[in-house]
Order: sequence, then C-alpha cells, then structure tokens
Amino acid sequence: MLQIYIALIIIAFFLGRTFWQKKNNKISRNEAIFWISFWILAAVFMFLIKRIDAFVAGLGFSATGIDVLSYFSIAIIFYLIFKIIVRMEKIEKSVTEIIRKISLKDYK
Amino acid sequence: MNNKDIFCIVPAYKEEKNISRVVEELSDLDYSVVVVVDGGGDKTFEFALETKRELKNSNIYILQHLINRGQGAALQTGNDFALKKGAKFVVHFDADGQFLSSEIIKILKPILDDKCDIVFGSRFLEIKSNMPFFKKFFIMPIGRIVNKIFLGVNLSDPQNGFRAMNALALEKIKISQDGSAHCSEILGKTIQNNLRYSEIAVTVIYNDFGQGLLSGKGRGKGGLKIIRDLILGKIIN
Repeated sequence: MLQIYIALIIIAFFLGRTFWQKKNNKISRNEAIFWISFWILAAVFMFLIKRIDAFVAGLGFSATGIDVLSYFSIAIIFYLIFKIIVRMEKIEKSVTEIIRKISLKDYK
Repeated sequence: MNNKDIFCIVPAYKEEKNISRVVEELSDLDYSVVVVVDGGGDKTFEFALETKRELKNSNIYILQHLINRGQGAALQTGNDFALKKGAKFVVHFDADGQFLSSEIIKILKPILDDKCDIVFGSRFLEIKSNMPFFKKFFIMPIGRIVNKIFLGVNLSDPQNGFRAMNALALEKIKISQDGSAHCSEILGKTIQNNLRYSEIAVTVIYNDFGQGLLSGKGRGKGGLKIIRDLILGKIIN
C-alpha cells in the first residue's frame, strides 16, 4: 500500500506542475490536456492495481500488474522515439531544401 | 559535342588541400565544373573561388551550402544547377583527388554512344585500386548485400562515387538521401525508372581511409548510418 501512496504523491506533484506550467503559459492548452489526462490515468491505474494484477494473472502472465504497465510504457516510449526520429528526418530534409535554394541563387 | 556540355559535379567538404588541383585538372580538360562546397567551416570555398579567378574560366561555378548537409545533398544541388544550365551530360567527381580526370571520357563513352543512360564506376572490375583491407573485405560486401536486399541489384561496387549520366537520368533521378545512402538510392531509381546502366572499371587512389562502419567524413557517413538512412527513407517516402 505504501508504494501506491508514494506513486500518488509523485503523480500529484507532476499534476500540480502541469497546472502551474499552463497557468504561466509555459505549455499550450493541448499539451496541458495531454499531460493532465496522462497523470490522471496513471493515478487511476494505481487505484486499480489489484484488479490489474488479477487481470494479468487471469491472462496467464507470471508478472504483476505493475510489471505489465512498465512493459507497455517502454513500448510506448519506443514508439514515441521512433515518431520523433521520423519527424526530425523530415525537418532535416526541409533544411536541406532551404540551403539548396540559397546556394542555387547565390552561386559565384 | 563540346566538352563544355559535360558538367562535372564536385561535392566538396573540408577539401581546402585538394580542391584547387581538382578544379584545375577538370578545367584543363575543358569541362564545365560545378563545385558544391558543403559547409565545413574551412577555406574550401575561398580556394575554389580563387582558382576560378586565376583560371579566368566562366564555366567554373562555385556553389555553397551554408551548413553541412551531406554528400548526397551536395550532389543533388549540383544536379539541379546543371539541369538549369542545360547540361547534356553530368559526371559526379570527388573533390579529394581520388579519381582520375583522364577516366571521365572512358566512363562517359557508353552514354555518348547512346548505349546507356547512367554508368557507374567500379573498383572491382579490371583496374586494381589500393583499397584498404577493412573496406574491401568488410564494408563493400555489406554494401552489396544491402543493395541486393533493398534494390534486388547486383553491382560490383555500389558505393563508388564516380558515375556519369545523361540529361534523361539527371531529370529522373532526384537524390533525397542527404548522406552516403545516395549511392544506393541512385541505383534504386535507375532500376525504378528503367534507365539503361552499366559498370566501367575506374581507378581510385586512396589518400586516407574515408569511410568506416560507424564513422566517416561529413553528414550521413559510415556503413551503419547508410543502412539507417535507407530504412528511414523507405518509411518517410
């Protein structure tokens, strides 16, 4: 039970920080919605951790619910990294196009 | 045909030691020369410009990428420029003095005879090059396997930068790979566009190692980066 309280304190800290960032216009409305939803969902999972344990055991996994959540998190992180790499590649190509246009215009 | 119709595209990254000699050699043979200085922060651009002024040759063009974008990007900039100038034939020629300018006419011959649209230079046909051991027996076989997997093509020297093409190939092949993966991309687009191609033996003089598995000179160099760029290119395009 102690772990759940610690997790909830951490979630409360990040939720508070997200609200503070939105209040000070450090993040956009959509970013705020995303992060608030993310942390609320994390809190809900914490409350339901026993049920998730039972669900995971019912599926035949030997891992606990928190382990399965960690595996999912890693998979999501990998996916987000992949998206960022693809996005960066597109930006790199746009930079090349701009540099090319300048060089074609200003040749000696 | 006039030699000025042949545009030699010379991508140059940190080549202040060699650029003047290469430009002079190509100018002496009366070719049009397009130097694309690809960033680098050294004196390559200034030296190329100085050589142009000394030679008083109006068919030498010096272009500059303000920041380094990679050899593939520099070649495409040169190709775009050559197309704008109405080039009939284009030769890709390295700025480090690895290739022999005397072999340009040899690599162009199948195109001039209208037997090919694009000709690739090869270090593995009849002429012997002093290729480093690691590159010859490790990097190059991997390159061939990658090209076989990605393109289904067997070329003896897929990473050779010495190549010639006519205006048709120039229009059809747009290089989108900024780094060294452009070699495989050019080959792939040659097949996609049903262009006629062949390989010609060329000499390559190695001044230094150039490209390894993980490292190389300039953006997008190194064997593993080439494979990564080819995979990303497939996803993005």
